[in-house]
Amino acid sequence: MRRIYLALLFGCAAFIPYAFADETCLSPYMAKIVGQEDFVYVWTLGVEGVGDGEDKLVTIDVNPDSPDYGNPVSSVSVGGRNEAHHSGLTDDRRFLWASGLDTSKIFIFDIATNPAAPQLVKTIDDFVARSGGVVGPHTNYALPGRMMLTGLSNNTDHGGRTALVEYTNAGEYIATHWMPTDDALQGAIKSGQFADGYGYDLRVVPRRNVMVTSSFTGWNNYMMNLGAMMADPEAMKRFGNTVVIWDLHARTPKKILDVPGAPLEIRCAWGSGKNYCFTSTALTSKIWLIYEDDAGEWQAKEVADIGDASKIPLPVDISIAADDNLLWVNTWNDGLVRLFDISDPHAPAEVFQQQIGEQVNMVSQSWDGERVYFTSSLLANWDKQETTGGDLQYFKLYSWDGESLKPDFHIDFIEAGLGAPHQMRFGAYALYGKKRPQQVSQLQ
Amino acid sequence: MNRISRSAVFAAGLLLMAVDALSAAQHQHEAPQVLAPGYADLEFVPPPVGSYRLPPFADAPDARVLNRYGKRVSLHELYQDKLVLLSFIYTRCSDVNGCPLATHVLAKLQRQLASNKDLDGQLRLISLSFDPSYDTPEVMGSYADAFAGEGVDWQFLTAASELELAPILEDYNQWVVRDYDARGNYLGSISHLLRVYLIDREQQVRNIYSVSFLHADTVANDVRTLIMEEGQLAGRGADPEQ
Repeated sequence: MRRIYLALLFGCAAFIPYAFADETCLSPYMAKIVGQEDFVYVWTLGVEGVGDGEDKLVTIDVNPDSPDYGNPVSSVSVGGRNEAHHSGLTDDRRFLWASGLDTSKIFIFDIATNPAAPQLVKTIDDFVARSGGVVGPHTNYALPGRMMLTGLSNNTDHGGRTALVEYTNAGEYIATHWMPTDDALQGAIKSGQFADGYGYDLRVVPRRNVMVTSSFTGWNNYMMNLGAMMADPEAMKRFGNTVVIWDLHARTPKKILDVPGAPLEIRCAWGSGKNYCFTSTALTSKIWLIYEDDAGEWQAKEVADIGDASKIPLPVDISIAADDNLLWVNTWNDGLVRLFDISDPHAPAEVFQQQIGEQVNMVSQSWDGERVYFTSSLLANWDKQETTGGDLQYFKLYSWDGESLKPDFHIDFIEAGLGAPHQMRFGAYALYGKKRPQQVSQLQ
Repeated sequence: MNRISRSAVFAAGLLLMAVDALSAAQHQHEAPQVLAPGYADLEFVPPPVGSYRLPPFADAPDARVLNRYGKRVSLHELYQDKLVLLSFIYTRCSDVNGCPLATHVLAKLQRQLASNKDLDGQLRLISLSFDPSYDTPEVMGSYADAFAGEGVDWQFLTAASELELAPILEDYNQWVVRDYDARGNYLGSISHLLRVYLIDREQQVRNIYSVSFLHADTVANDVRTLIMEEGQLAGRGADPEQ
């Protein structure tokens, strides 16, 4: 019974503003898979000498009732390497946008016509010119009828100053919204030391008319060799130290919060009246709470350590559970996943940790929290090139029973000739009123 | 007042239907039903009128449709002289946060239109059905009687056929899917992503609202922002120095 698809409905039955896990960390009004997902779409970085060496969207069958369970069933190469990184679904969930941090290209895949075999239907290759100089499209986030993309850089100095860029679902440019800086606050209140203008992730809280953005680093750094960058004191100064609170409706920045140490993924609670989000800082290894206080002011404060910061565990992806009580946190350098009890968002407590594998990066959980997916790979020039044992580039599924993570299957992405897997998005036939065909061909 | 009372009764009926339908879903979801923000007072102070832009989004294409009297009309005829708020609905929609939400917000807007001189005569409301086989002009007429107030420009439209409807939905990127049971029997419901479109007099989409965003106060402010923009454009046109 648990295997059947539960409500995947749009509009009529889609407004469930209280909870999203990582299926779940999507836009709040998007159709959701609350039962068993059929597929995970993995936006995969091309690796020279591995398969065709190109970036690709890999579709993995993850439904235990399928004969192809645990196998890649489709792979769509996009031509060359673009520094494949993040992807996102449109609000109607018919299209998946996947962007490249190096070439600034955006690839739009139709995942509705045949959920088992996405098709590349459009490539946006003039993002930099249309946006007025934004480089490195990162988060692809659905708003009604449109996609909001965060940039990481710019084409003037390839540093961290950047903007949000808005497109229609059809891939037509709408507008650019630059991040606030000291010399162009745009009406925003600078609440601390920093107004760096950097960007990374984005989430919205529509009922509070709030958009939240975080900050990472520019093209010069994310395309540099990791060892060289860390040995360069000047380069290490060029990381984001801010979270910005925006007026969502007006698209104007309202308040700049100091969150030092490169705040990355943002995950917001969805419980009614829970006006807060979490982020983790890569360089300082902390969980930060971004919250609206009793006076209606948005604030930021560090609320937990993630491991021993002196050992540079390097927190990467985080995933909030559907009931807002748990937060998975991956640390890339030590290959651990940690679970925090966040039932008191002001005092998260680590309750579990487990080794997943070298350079574990992204984590996505199913709606019910019982399936947790992991991928490796951070950036082409930051990834480890040699393993100390075990897979170096992988996709892994675990079952979570509330006490332990048990491995279900894993795919070695190098051995499979695919590349370095990064962001995951879920797919299901039932989203489109379709049923699984009798036979789905396994990728040869 | 009489009209308002009738619409309230109709809405209450829809709410009850929705609660029935949702109770089963809640059992599966183990989740409470939360009403969309559009049913309550706005939880935030919206940005001031004219303090933000609504960049043109896309063209709002033309199409031939039927009004409640069965007369063929074109969408562009209806878009010419007023700003337009276009909502895709179907009358059998039972989810309280689906089409009933859109109709509730449009009904709330019509009351604002009637009581605010700056909006009076500036906005046309359109509810267009995507279930033409059930929502005949007569059905849309009955639906209209339950909601539309006296003297308010609220058009209730449908398509002549599914064939004529399909390109409209495609043009407006309004995706819908009919719901069937395991045996292939149509359940009478249509899953869709709620979308309401604000269209300017140049027939361009200027905003799209979905469940979490649709609220009469923000829509009214957007309408006023477009009216202000039109005034500024007209002012510039009159002064060659600007």
